[in-house]
Amino acid sequence: MRITENTNYDNIRNSIHRSKSRMENFQNQASTMKQVNTPSDDPVGSAKVLEIRTEKVNAEQFASSIHQADMLLNQSDHAIGELVDIMMRAKEIAISQSSGASSTKESRLGIAEEVDQLFQRAVAVGNTRISDRYLFGGYRTDRAPFTPEGEYTGDDGQTMVEIGRDTFIAVNVPGNEIVNTHPQKIRKTEELSRTPAEADEGAHPENVNLFDELQTLRIGLLTGDLNAIQNTLDRIDDSQGKLVAMRAKIGSRVNGMNGQLQAVERQTITNAQLSSNIEDADMAHVMNEIAKEETILRSALQSSKHLVQPTLMDFIK
Amino acid sequence: MGVGNVFQTGRTGMMAAKAGIATSGHNITNSNTEGFSRQRVQVASETPRPGPGTGNYIGSGVRINRIERVNDEYIEKQIQNGARDLSNLEEKDQSLRQVEDIFNEMNGEGLNRLMAKFFNEFRKLANDPNSQAVRESVREAAHAMVTDVHRLNKEVSEASRHIDAKIEGYVGQLNANTRELTELNQKIKEMEVGSNRTQIADLHDRRDLVVKNIASLVNVTTHKNEKGDINVEIRGVGPLVNNVTAEQMSVFRSPRDDEGKVENALDVKSTGQTGTLTHLLKGGKLGGLLEIRDQTLSSIGDRLDDLAYTLADTVNSIHKEGFSRDGVQGLMFFKPIAGKEGAAEMFDLSDSIKASSQAIATAAQPDSPADNRVAIAISGLQGMRLMADGKATVDDFYNSIVSDVGVISNKNRSTLNQQKNVMTQLNKMREQISGVSIDEETANLMQFQHSFDASARVIAVADEMVKTVLDLKRL
Repeated sequence: MRITENTNYDNIRNSIHRSKSRMENFQNQASTMKQVNTPSDDPVGSAKVLEIRTEKVNAEQFASSIHQADMLLNQSDHAIGELVDIMMRAKEIAISQSSGASSTKESRLGIAEEVDQLFQRAVAVGNTRISDRYLFGGYRTDRAPFTPEGEYTGDDGQTMVEIGRDTFIAVNVPGNEIVNTHPQKIRKTEELSRTPAEADEGAHPENVNLFDELQTLRIGLLTGDLNAIQNTLDRIDDSQGKLVAMRAKIGSRVNGMNGQLQAVERQTITNAQLSSNIEDADMAHVMNEIAKEETILRSALQSSKHLVQPTLMDFIK
Repeated sequence: MGVGNVFQTGRTGMMAAKAGIATSGHNITNSNTEGFSRQRVQVASETPRPGPGTGNYIGSGVRINRIERVNDEYIEKQIQNGARDLSNLEEKDQSLRQVEDIFNEMNGEGLNRLMAKFFNEFRKLANDPNSQAVRESVREAAHAMVTDVHRLNKEVSEASRHIDAKIEGYVGQLNANTRELTELNQKIKEMEVGSNRTQIADLHDRRDLVVKNIASLVNVTTHKNEKGDINVEIRGVGPLVNNVTAEQMSVFRSPRDDEGKVENALDVKSTGQTGTLTHLLKGGKLGGLLEIRDQTLSSIGDRLDDLAYTLADTVNSIHKEGFSRDGVQGLMFFKPIAGKEGAAEMFDLSDSIKASSQAIATAAQPDSPADNRVAIAISGLQGMRLMADGKATVDDFYNSIVSDVGVISNKNRSTLNQQKNVMTQLNKMREQISGVSIDEETANLMQFQHSFDASARVIAVADEMVKTVLDLKRL
């Protein structure tokens, strides 16, 4: 085989180029700590990485939505808890004042005053707000949903929040659902896309309104109508039952959310691992390769020295 | 048979040695010339002359037959094809690296992240539909997304323009090369017209190189006609160089066509052909560039248009059903875009959104600050298969652009590396046959120098012989 000087030089050039371009690749990996630096480094992997990144952004948002929903629902729960206390007191009053033995005109008048206070407290609780958002107004959160007379001016809008892909949770309870045992639909809110509606509970049984009962109790006390006071007892029980039911509902939502939060966090960890497997360079491997390439390059250069130097010219002087 | 003939014999030897030295010198000086094939002096013994006695013939020296070009036509042909494929792949690799840089998803904030942010800002808004701050950040996220779509679109068309500039340059090179080929065809025909038509080695080398250069620009077939001209034909188009005439190629700007060429990009035509050659040129640098421009880039451009159109259209169709913070229904979020063509460029926020973030509709009914159903529906678009006939979400669709670029580039690069190895091998084979070895030439120089000395010695001997003869009389 004829070997010419150009063959030699080409060999040297090629081996140095090859070695240096491999070295550059590994150095690039070392400096970014990533093995996928351009889409062509791993086309399928890079698409997966992008998918995971979107998931990550989504997951962060879902987690923050869950925290906010948690706060809103907890506030609602506290407020309803307070209503339960109010009704408890109303019930005590109704029990104590419904029998002639302990009920005198004076005591009734004094206690009517307390019921009035209870009424006003209940209105205030119904108008609970976080910053400028009234919790119980349905969709109408920009103004107090209950008038001082206890009339509901909100609607029955349910604010749904996405806490996982296609998983929604209602973060509010409309005020009329709380104060009425069998509320009337205020307005048929046409459903848009996938916001599920709360099941319409049959409105046939007799409705009990919390404010009405407090009012009835007060009037009964003022007029001394012991029968009326007696009658409120069952209905106050109904109302209280509804409140407790609402709290249970909220509690189950919160539980569901906590489960969801764990799922989101688990998913985040899995995704991080997955994307790290695709993206991250194995540093030990990279460093090892760099060292290896360096040896190869050195020996290529070293051998070139011997390959290039002597020609016949050097010997015929 | 006289002494004079010995002078002649010596002279032929000196001539042959001189030719050998000159040729070795020529080889050494051209050892780095591209396309050069080493040359050899082919000598033969001179026809002998009748000698003393009957039927005796005495040799009368050496004759230079021809200067031979050491070259294997088959390997030259393979190198020609190899160079065509190599330059095609190299050209594509360069362009694809640029295209990959446009999609800087791996390291920076690409459109992928900005789209995710856009949809999630709407989720955030759904949590708090009344919040001014969140409204602003929704608008900000939408703006960032729009800006990045514009950036991508602009960089894709810039890459396309960059390719056009290169195409123009290569078409010029092609014309220069085909002209040179016709000149060489002419020259070789003129100079080799002599009796035994010896090849003029250097012109043939030069011509082979020019043909190789033409082949590296575009896919051609070559053949030699009976007169020794090399004719070139563009595969699938027609003759490019015929004997001593060459077609001239030119470029001009033209409107969009339906084979992937975008508006105002360059078309290629030639003097001998009616219609454009743009979609007929394959292979070589030109074919590679046209492929990237009219297939890869043009498809990316179309897909960005598709993406922008779908985003604007679907978001608007939900948004306009909703009610803004001020209770206005029917507002657009993005500027409405009539059709997919050029959508990426026209993609923009609507004037009402630009004017105020209050115009963002979140509610499906008026007078409902906590109604977030529109915001939820818009964020829900993220998971809906809106693209590719209901097969892909906008995310999938965009990611597939990125990974397609990666796949094309990756595949091209690995073919390129293979082709590089093939070329290295071919060049090695060519070097083995046609390459100049300095050692070998040096040895030849010494050999010829000795041969020159010895031939001169023959003349000196003849001279002494003559002297001896002349001295006979004086003695």
